[in-house]
Amino acid sequence: MKVEITYPPVSKRRFQQRKLQKILKWPFWLAAYACPIINLCIGGEAWSVLVLAGLYTLWTMAVSPDLVEYNRISQTVKLTVRACIVLGLLDVLLVSGLAYRVIPIVCFGALVMSGVMFFTDMERQKQNMLPLLWLILFTMIGAAVGLSLWHKDVHWALIVMAAVSVALFIICIITLGGELLREIKRRFHTR
Amino acid sequence: MKEKAPDRFAAYAESLPADKQQQLAAFFDALAAQCRLPKKEAAAMRADFEDALLYYHEQGVPFDEALCRIDTAKLGGFYAHPPVLWFALDNAAKVYPLYMKHGSMAGFRLSVYLKKPVVPVLLQLALAFTVKRFPSFATTLKKGFFWHYLDTAKHRFCAAPENDYPCQPLKVAGSGSLTFRVVYYQNRISIEFFHVLTDGVGGMTFLKVLTAEYLRLLGVDAPDEGCLWNVNTPPAVREVENAFATVPSGENGGGFMEKAAVQLNGRVADRTPCRLLHFRLSATEIKVAAKRYDATVTEYLLGLMFLANKTATDELTGDTSIQVPVDMRRLFPTPTVRNFSMYCGIRVPLESITTLPAAVEEAKRQMAQKASKEVLQEMVTSTKKLVGSLKFIPLAIKTPVAKIVCGLLGDKTCSNVLSNLGVVKMPAAFAEHIDSMDFSLGAVEHNRAECAVVTFGDILTFSVTKMTVDPTFEETMYRLFVDEGLTVRVEGSPLYES
Repeated sequence: MKVEITYPPVSKRRFQQRKLQKILKWPFWLAAYACPIINLCIGGEAWSVLVLAGLYTLWTMAVSPDLVEYNRISQTVKLTVRACIVLGLLDVLLVSGLAYRVIPIVCFGALVMSGVMFFTDMERQKQNMLPLLWLILFTMIGAAVGLSLWHKDVHWALIVMAAVSVALFIICIITLGGELLREIKRRFHTR
Repeated sequence: MKEKAPDRFAAYAESLPADKQQQLAAFFDALAAQCRLPKKEAAAMRADFEDALLYYHEQGVPFDEALCRIDTAKLGGFYAHPPVLWFALDNAAKVYPLYMKHGSMAGFRLSVYLKKPVVPVLLQLALAFTVKRFPSFATTLKKGFFWHYLDTAKHRFCAAPENDYPCQPLKVAGSGSLTFRVVYYQNRISIEFFHVLTDGVGGMTFLKVLTAEYLRLLGVDAPDEGCLWNVNTPPAVREVENAFATVPSGENGGGFMEKAAVQLNGRVADRTPCRLLHFRLSATEIKVAAKRYDATVTEYLLGLMFLANKTATDELTGDTSIQVPVDMRRLFPTPTVRNFSMYCGIRVPLESITTLPAAVEEAKRQMAQKASKEVLQEMVTSTKKLVGSLKFIPLAIKTPVAKIVCGLLGDKTCSNVLSNLGVVKMPAAFAEHIDSMDFSLGAVEHNRAECAVVTFGDILTFSVTKMTVDPTFEETMYRLFVDEGLTVRVEGSPLYES
């Protein structure tokens, strides 16, 4: 069977994420199995949970990134959520009292960063509004819970986080108006 | 090239008489009004028009005629309006984003081969004029809370030279990234689609309009023969409808679950597809051959594929199954360009595949049974029920479950696919400039060879998308075609994995 070649020669070698995943899968699984076993064997604090959370964060952020909506805002929000989970675990498992101060700092930093990214390129970023809205919502809820729990000993970071999230929410309503509602409608459609 | 063009264009513009210069300035003012895109993209679009005018000048096309051909009014305000439309995914499309993986995406490729090499500057403009007619194509895939959806993305849609592996997954993750790509090589224009956008019929409608628009820019004119969408007609609601919702529900829901089928031999290549092959056959000859068995072309090809499948596997027992997509528009007419096809699995035990007449007879029997309106309607009913039952489950839960289910079954339930788009018709004046067409399916995970057919004029193109280096399947098909007395010419890509 003689085949006449009618396709151009391919000069560039395409990076294959799949190949990277195949290569890294085994060291990741090895670490994921080995750490809890070692942790159980030698006893002590449950540091392996943190390792697992770290591995999961690394895998989902770098090795197997999102296939839909991989943009600066969504990745910032995703990284923030993962970082907060790791900090929360760190607080519960190893160093207590840390998360209460650090998580609000991480969150308001993320709010400021996402806000800047959104409002400096609003025309394009309008399509990436939802992750920012999630972050605003969660930080507002977090701030409300935090303020009601620790209202006698409020850390400045929590107040700043609350202020930034509310301010950003108001700015979104003022600048986006009806578009915000349209975005929510399409994002939550069930058709 | 884009940076040099304005200089050449400035020199050309200065060489024009004063009245023409005024006309030109008015033309670009009109373009600026039509094109409310970000600065960079608007500049690139202006450069596209400048390049086209230069091309016409070099070809000796009169100035007024050139301006008329690329009249900015044909942009129809598409690039001037803010993007507000969005489209919920149709029932068939909903599953594709759920189980896509890195390096694996349900897609397909359609190509048209012209009689002369493609003029890139005109193809670029043809694309700009065509996209407005297909609002559901000018979209980007977004993640909702319950389902994915398509959000309008307005920017300069680019026709690029082909320099990459064919049928590669599209990068749909970025802001505004498209779910189709247009590439050209020599005399071929190809469009690669993510299945979330459309099916073969919808894709072909787009390719036909794009080709017609390209030929019109080249100066070919054709009267309306009713086989082509008018690029300047405003889009209708029914053209973007989820037609599954319009199908009346059957009494019972048909099942989707099938047991695993025998796979062909050969290790799945690291890069898939590792080759595309196009068997060019005479449509007349193959129709005559099919008639000998009192079968349709699809049934005849199924018979040949069953024989090739048997040769291309070392398994002695088990079923070989060929999945045949069925265009539902034939049963429930609709102009939609969204997905509207179902499928039937033609399944035969390996040991019962003996001769071609017997294989064709079995294919005929099963096609009559499984591609009937009632069976397909039941399948649609099942799809609707499934979608309905999942609609309030968050995507974050649906996605991993779908990945597991599709990982367990997926394309393992069939040995290969045979998708026949049928005969493509173009107005005679355009058809004169077209040599042939081809239709290729994208890569899948387990099947080793996916087949697709399209006929244009007297050329039937049987394309094979290879996922393995093992050549047994295609060589057997070739031998069978020759043995059947058919004239066959084979074209294709090089083998991408040595």
